[in-house]
Amino acid sequence: MAVTSYSGAEQYNFDIVKKFAVMSLVWAVVGMFVGVYIASELAWPFLNFDSPYFSFGRFRPVHTTSVIFGFGGSALFATSYYVVQRTCQTRLISDGMASFTFWGWMAIIVLADISYVLGYTQAREYAEMEWPIDILIEVVWVTYLILFVGTIMRRKQPHIYVANWFYLAFILATALLHTFNNLAMPIDLFSMKSYSLFSGTQDAMVQWWYGHNAVGFFLTAAFLGMMYYFVPKQAGRPIYSYRLSIVHFWALSFMYMWVGAHHLHWTALPDWTSSLAAAFSILLLMPSWGGMINGIMTLSGAWDKLRTDPVMRFMIVALSFYGMSTFEGPMMSLKEVNALSHYTDWTVGHVHSGALGWVAMISFGSLYHMMPKLWDTKIYSNKLVEVHFWLATIGIVLYIVAMWISGITQGLMWRAFDEFGNLQYSFVESVVAMMPFYAMRAIGGMFFLAGTMLMTYNMFMTIRQGKRESAALDARLAAKMAHA
Amino acid sequence: MSEQKLQSQTVQTTGHAWDGDLQEYNNPLPVWWVYTFYATVVFALVYWTIYPSWPFGKGWIGGVSDITYVNSEGETKTHSWNTRALFITDMNEAAVAQKPYFDKVAAMPYEQIAQDPDMSGFIISAGKSLFAENCAACHQAGGQGVIGFFPNLTDDDWLYGGSYEKLHETLVGGRRGYMPAFSEVLNGDQVDQLANYVASLSGIGHDADKAVAGDVLFHSETAACYYCHTNDATGRQDMGAPNLTDNIWLWADVPGARTAESKVAAIRGVISGGLNKGVMPAWSDRLTPEQIKVLTVYVHELGGGQ
Repeated sequence: MAVTSYSGAEQYNFDIVKKFAVMSLVWAVVGMFVGVYIASELAWPFLNFDSPYFSFGRFRPVHTTSVIFGFGGSALFATSYYVVQRTCQTRLISDGMASFTFWGWMAIIVLADISYVLGYTQAREYAEMEWPIDILIEVVWVTYLILFVGTIMRRKQPHIYVANWFYLAFILATALLHTFNNLAMPIDLFSMKSYSLFSGTQDAMVQWWYGHNAVGFFLTAAFLGMMYYFVPKQAGRPIYSYRLSIVHFWALSFMYMWVGAHHLHWTALPDWTSSLAAAFSILLLMPSWGGMINGIMTLSGAWDKLRTDPVMRFMIVALSFYGMSTFEGPMMSLKEVNALSHYTDWTVGHVHSGALGWVAMISFGSLYHMMPKLWDTKIYSNKLVEVHFWLATIGIVLYIVAMWISGITQGLMWRAFDEFGNLQYSFVESVVAMMPFYAMRAIGGMFFLAGTMLMTYNMFMTIRQGKRESAALDARLAAKMAHA
Repeated sequence: MSEQKLQSQTVQTTGHAWDGDLQEYNNPLPVWWVYTFYATVVFALVYWTIYPSWPFGKGWIGGVSDITYVNSEGETKTHSWNTRALFITDMNEAAVAQKPYFDKVAAMPYEQIAQDPDMSGFIISAGKSLFAENCAACHQAGGQGVIGFFPNLTDDDWLYGGSYEKLHETLVGGRRGYMPAFSEVLNGDQVDQLANYVASLSGIGHDADKAVAGDVLFHSETAACYYCHTNDATGRQDMGAPNLTDNIWLWADVPGARTAESKVAAIRGVISGGLNKGVMPAWSDRLTPEQIKVLTVYVHELGGGQ
C-alpha cells in the first residue's frame, strides 16, 4: 500500500483512501458471512451448538455492526476522503488525523464485535457498543468532522460540490445522534456495564430517534453523497438537476428528524407522537425520491451504458432499490399497515432491500470505479464484475421475496381469530410456517456473499496488477534516467 | 425519454465544474415530483385531522375520529382515537364471541360438554389455543410428551388418573412425582435383578434367573417396591406410582434403547437414581375456572380419557 501512484500522489492523500477501501471489502466479507451464519441458525438451529458464543443474540449485532459500520462506514470514509479532496482540489488538512480515524475506526469495530460475543451490549439496536467503545467513537468522529470541515474550508473551488453537503450532513447528524443516544452512566469505572440516562418510553423514543436517523443520515444521506459523485463520474454526464439536489437535500434533512417514532407504533408511546411520525414519513417520500430521480436522470441520454457498463448497472440498480425501499418505508409507517408488518420478517426484508439493494450496491459500484483509479490501473476482470452483479441481484431478490412472504404470513397468523373468538394459531405454528422462507433467505444471503467474495478477489487482483504496472513503469523510468 | 433527452441537451449547466468534468445541469424540478409532494402534504394534513396529532397546551389535538368502547367498569365511553380504546374494543369482540360458550362450559357437567356437538367445536378451538399457550411447552404440541421428562397425554396410561375429576385435580393443584434412589439400600446386583424383573413384566428381553430373583426382591421388605407399585405392579394412581406392566415408559427411555441389554440398563438407571423431577405446576392462579374446565375436557379427548 506504500507504493505511490503517479496521478496526484502529492496533491492528494490517497493512502488513507486505499486503506479504508480495502478494509471495507474485508468487513463486507466478515459481516455478510456472519449474516449468512445467523440466517442459517434460524433455519437450522443446531448451528447454535448450544453455546452462548454462537447464539443468534450475540452474533446478530456482530453482523449489523460489521456490515453497517465496518463495511458501510469504511466505504464512506474512503469515498468521502476521495471525493472531498478531488472536488475541493486540496489535500486533507492532516495526514495524522486521517490515520487516526482509520486505526480508531478499525479498533472500534474489532472491540465492538468481540464485546458482543462476550455478552456485553447496551441492548440498543445499532448502538449496542458499551460506553468505553462509545467514547472512542465520539473521539474518532469529532476528528473526522474537523478533518472534513477543515478540508472543505481549504478548498480551491469557489463552490462546494453537492456530494460534500450530503457527507457533511451525515457526519454532523451522526455526531449528534451518537452523543444523545449513548448518554449513560457506567455502574463502575472498571465495568463495561452502564445504564441509560433515559427510562421507559423516553428511552425507547431516544433510541428510535437515533435508530431511524442512523438509517436516514448514515445509510441514506451519506450514500447519496457517494451517488452524487460516482454516478455522474461513471456516466461521464452532468448531474440532472442542481435545483432538485438543493431542494431534496434540505427537505430530506428536515423531514428525517421527525419520523423515528414510527418504529414504536402500537406501544406505550403517546398516540399523537405516533401519528406525527407516520405523516412525516409520508412527507419524506418525495424528498427521498429526489436523489433517485437525480441519479437515474443523470443517465438519460446514455442509457446504452446500462448494457455495456456493469459498474453503471450496479449504480442504477442501487438507485432502483433505493426508490423501492423509500416507498415501502413510508407505507409501513402508516399505523394500519404497521399493525400487520411490525415485529414480522417484513421489517427485516425492508431493511435488507435498503441495505443490500441500495447501500451495498452503490458502494460496490463506487468502489469498482474508485479502486482501479487509486492504484492507477484498470479493473482486473470486467467479466467477474458482471458475474458479481447477477449473484448480488439474485441474492437480494431471493432474500426480499422470502421475507415478504414470511412477514405477511406471520402478521396474518398472529392476528387470526376463529369464529369462537379464540386465536387461530399458536406462536409456534407461525414459527414452523417460517421454515422454508428462512432457508430461502439464507440461500439468498449465500448468493450475495459469494458475489462479495468474488469482488474482493477481483479487487485484490486489480491492486496486484496496479502495483506490477507501476513497478514496471518505475523500472523503465530508471532505465531511461540511466541512459540520459 | 427522447423528450427528456432533448430537454437536457438544451438546458444549461450551472457553470461550475469540479474534478475536471463534474458538472450540474440546471433542470427545473420535475413537475410530477412537485405535485406528488403537494399530494403528500394534503395526505399529512388529512391524517393529522383524523388521528391525534400535534401537542397543544397541556394536551394534544385529538382528531375527528372517535372510538366508542366499554371500559372495565362496564360503562360506554366515547373518546378521540386511541390505541388503548382500540385494544379494549378488539379484546371485547373476542370476549363477546367467547362468552356464550364459556357460560355454557361453566354450567354444564363434563360428560355433557363432551357429547354436545355445538360445544365440541368450541372446545377444540379454545382448548387448542389454551393448550398451545400453556401446556405444549412441556407436553408438546400434540400432547405426546417427551420420554424422560414429560408424560404423554394421548395414551390411556395415567399416573394420577384420567377421569375428568382427576384431570381437573391435576390441572388445579399440580403434581409432584417422587421415587427414592435405591442405590442407597440395594447393591448393584440387586438393582440389576429388579430391572430384569420389571423388563419381564412388559415382555422385554431379560435374564430369566435374575428376573426371578428380582420378583422376590420386589415383594420383599428390603426393596419394598410393592408398597407403591402394588403386588401385581400395576401402580397406584393416588400416589402417582406408574403401572409397570403395560410397556409404556415415561422415565426410562426403553423405546429409544436398541438392544435388550440397554433397555434393562435404562430401567436400572431409574431404580438406582430415583426420581425427583416429575413436577406439574398448579394452574388455578393462572387460568380461570372455565379455562381449566375447557382444558380438562380437551386433554380428556386427546386420546385416553377414562
